[in-house]
Amino acid sequence: MKRKIAVAAALAATLLGTAACGSNSDDKGTASTDTKVDGTGKTIKVWLMVDAQTSWKNVVDDATKRFTAATGAQVNVEYQQWANHLTKLDATLAGSDVPDVVELGNTEFSKYVFNGGFAEVNKSDFENSDTWLSGLSGACELDGKTYCVPYYAGARVLIYRTDLFKAAGITAAPKTYDEFLADAEKLQTGAKGNSKFGSFYMPGQYWYAAMSFVKSTGGDIAKKDGDKWVGQLSQPASQQGLQRWVDAVKKYSKADVTKNENDQAGIFSQGQAGMFYGNAWEQGVAEEVRKDPNDPNSPLVPTKVKGKLAAAPLPEIPSFLGGSNLGVTQKSANKELAAQWIKAFTDSTSMAGLVKANALPNASSLMDKAAADNPTIAPAALAAKQSWFPPNAEKWADVEKGNVLQTMLTDVLTGKKSVADATKWADDQINTTLNES
Amino acid sequence: MTAVDSPTTRPQAAGGVTVQKPAAQRPSRRRRHDALVPWLLTLPTLLVLALLLGRPLYRMIVLSFQNMRLRELLTGVAPPWVGFEQYQKALTDSTFWGVVGRTAAFTVVSVTVSVLAGLAVALLMRRVHRRVRLAMMIAMMFVWALPQLVAAQAFVWLTDSDFGVLNYLIDKIPGVDYANHSWFVNPWQGWTLITVLVVWAGIPFLAISLSAGLTQVPKELLEAATVDGATAWQALRNITLPILKPLLTIVTTLSVIWNFGLFTQVWVFRSGHPEPYFQTLATYSYTQAFGQSRYSYGSAIAVITVLLMLGVMVFYIRQMFKIGEVD
Amino acid sequence: MAARQDDGVLTVGRSRIGTIFANTGGVLFALVMIFPVYWVLNTAFKPRDEVMSFEPYFLPAHPTLDNFVSAIKAENFLSGLVNGLIITGLAVAAALVVGFLAALAIARFNFYGRRAIIMIILCVQLVPLLALLIPLFLMLQGWELTNSLIGVALVYLVLLLPYTVWTLRGFIAGIPKELDEAAMIDGCTRPQVFWRIILPLTGPGLVATAVYGFIQAWNEFIIINTLNSPAKQNLMAWLLQNQTERGTAWGPLMAGAIITSLPVVIFFLLIQRNIATGLTAGAVKG
Repeated sequence: MKRKIAVAAALAATLLGTAACGSNSDDKGTASTDTKVDGTGKTIKVWLMVDAQTSWKNVVDDATKRFTAATGAQVNVEYQQWANHLTKLDATLAGSDVPDVVELGNTEFSKYVFNGGFAEVNKSDFENSDTWLSGLSGACELDGKTYCVPYYAGARVLIYRTDLFKAAGITAAPKTYDEFLADAEKLQTGAKGNSKFGSFYMPGQYWYAAMSFVKSTGGDIAKKDGDKWVGQLSQPASQQGLQRWVDAVKKYSKADVTKNENDQAGIFSQGQAGMFYGNAWEQGVAEEVRKDPNDPNSPLVPTKVKGKLAAAPLPEIPSFLGGSNLGVTQKSANKELAAQWIKAFTDSTSMAGLVKANALPNASSLMDKAAADNPTIAPAALAAKQSWFPPNAEKWADVEKGNVLQTMLTDVLTGKKSVADATKWADDQINTTLNES
Repeated sequence: MTAVDSPTTRPQAAGGVTVQKPAAQRPSRRRRHDALVPWLLTLPTLLVLALLLGRPLYRMIVLSFQNMRLRELLTGVAPPWVGFEQYQKALTDSTFWGVVGRTAAFTVVSVTVSVLAGLAVALLMRRVHRRVRLAMMIAMMFVWALPQLVAAQAFVWLTDSDFGVLNYLIDKIPGVDYANHSWFVNPWQGWTLITVLVVWAGIPFLAISLSAGLTQVPKELLEAATVDGATAWQALRNITLPILKPLLTIVTTLSVIWNFGLFTQVWVFRSGHPEPYFQTLATYSYTQAFGQSRYSYGSAIAVITVLLMLGVMVFYIRQMFKIGEVD
Repeated sequence: MAARQDDGVLTVGRSRIGTIFANTGGVLFALVMIFPVYWVLNTAFKPRDEVMSFEPYFLPAHPTLDNFVSAIKAENFLSGLVNGLIITGLAVAAALVVGFLAALAIARFNFYGRRAIIMIILCVQLVPLLALLIPLFLMLQGWELTNSLIGVALVYLVLLLPYTVWTLRGFIAGIPKELDEAAMIDGCTRPQVFWRIILPLTGPGLVATAVYGFIQAWNEFIIINTLNSPAKQNLMAWLLQNQTERGTAWGPLMAGAIITSLPVVIFFLLIQRNIATGLTAGAVKG
């Protein structure tokens, strides 16, 4: 009898042309992709960040095409801007009509995972999931379950002026940190008389860079001790690393100490700096700009530094592993379809497309091939092997949003506080924020 | 953009309105009708406010007595009721009082400077040649027409540490090195810049309304005073200012209310991440709610802000009733 | 208007040197005020390498319209312009109709509860809409009005209404009540008084109120940015978001800013004669 009803239901579903399984009939809340989902007549809503639109829209379109071919469902992709995007997400997720797939930065994800914003996904459904970069997937894991899928990564490298290097008699990229400092010194001396020239462009609120220096001396931002987080910045090892960064910035950077790194490639392209620390793709940004900055299809125009740049890992400084993840929202009515779309968008085909667009793939197993396929990102792929990511704490995003690290850095650079005082202050802030219930 | 109730543009109005008296001699049917009509007329407004504002406002106030965090927001679980805890937290927090003090100090300084500058410009406009006055008017109209966001972005661009023209110009002064100068390193400088922006954007409104007010000062009176040997300063103090006082009170109150709610300028200048020493009550409430997911705490701060502003509002309303505008 | 009679310069007792000083001061003031506006224009007409130059160009060496073309062609720019006009138009029209009635009641009737209504109208303007973001969002979603122009127009109606009532009240109160009474004695009914006397005489006031209301609604960006998808936002939200992955493109941004300001500039020019009247008529919100 039971079976008969099931058959009848299945038949009815087929006749209606809409499958019931795509909706929230899914009691477990797991977004599974193992059964083929019929999504005919359905549309899933996807929120991606604007980077996908400007840099790899073709990958999105291609994945969507394959997804639609497989499921019959349509996809409505909405591109979000980084400015203000969490406010919008908060308001939207509080309601009932939510996007099915949401992209967030890897450091933003934990908070939403901890608070039940995203549905569990079946990790093994996704290609390369056993070699996902832990810097990305760390934010997805909670109590042994997986709540999001790594999307792409970025690692930071040293981007430098080959012509200036040559003029200063430097023949190769620095291999050690001391070499790096010596090179910076040579470039700075070589530009004597030009008061605007800084051999190492480093904006003062570029905390990803500063924390990389902290990591380089064995320091850390925060550690979990039992069930409490403890800020580590005022530990000697951390202070030493921060001091290292401060010394380099004070000596070799002419960058605004209250700016972050957003505009650094554009500023660097004006030729008043010898090196900067950026994502691999920022080399391209510094060398060429879109004729029409609002049109991702307009021709590229060379800048003053075109053809004069090269990249290499910043020696001895582990890179912050940035990037984004994708999650299926807990309130989504199409969890399975949503997971299916993510699957298409993060498979090896899509990853190859991202690599072409100068992003790093989401898994370490793809890294060597990526470096071989696209020489531009080879240094970043190398740097990604020596990378770190912020504490995987529920409230970490609040530390970022609370400007704690940025304020600490500016305070030190401007001499308002000593490294000791500023790190002590930052630790207090971090302890309060991360342990707040 | 704004407007003020000025008795000065309609000197007859103040007297005119007070004529209003219940028309006892009219037939009583009409009288009952009269009692109903104004309510019918205000009904749509009251309905709109009750429906569209009442409910969210009620929810915001309720929210401030709860503890809504991200989990409650995302899952729809009812947030726990905590009574006055959020208010207690705010009122006993030195950071919060720092923000209140900073906002208040900014308000006092920016309003004083804007009103004085506006008055000076209004007085200047009376003395200059017609063409000069026209130039001043045109300049002010353009400044006024510039949306707040655009004005703020323009200032960010002007003061950019790398490409900003302001640093370039200051750097030209001999002996001053302002190349790559960053205006937000020193909070005092940063706040100076924010104040300049707010004052610059506020002058057109103040100067143009005050200059409209000045036209109500009888010229004969001023001329007579000068003939009697009064200095310009005495004429200003003893004749012009007393006549202008009601208008001044109103534009000052309005400026206080606007500047106290400072948000956009700080937000744009600090690209959405104001450092602790650039937080104002408005940005603080917003970052607490949306940056830190303390939605209830953010609401409590907003409620406190409204209560503080109500205090200022009392001045405005009292002034309105005093000059007979609304009685 | 009173300002008209005062076109002459006040000369009695003023020295010539004083006048020269005053005129110089006036010119200087105009220049300082206009400088940022000039710089916006200057930037908008420059090609990129002149914008991003350590030695600023005080006039574009190679003036170009590229930045304007870029802004206009940019995604969501034209839609933002149209959306902004629709939302603002709806909100202003609704606020004028609804607000005028209430203004009439407050200005022309003495009734029980009038003071309370005045208090409500004034105090409501102190409520920071930003703090209402989530409740507003949820309420509109309940009505299926998120991501819709109507939803935002409703919120902007709330933003404008108290101000509109208050300003119009000032204008209506400025019409001598004796006119009404005379008309009533002549046999006019209340509605006739309204149509034949009050409405025509409030005309300039309505225009001024509409323009200031327009500015308020036109300038809002956070609410619309939260409620709507990029395709249904306005130009202000577009400006806020125009930080491309390749850093801030100042040229197109400034060009977009100019276009964004244009409607307001046009309206100001249209009502320039009434500007002083408009301003001095009464409200609390900027």
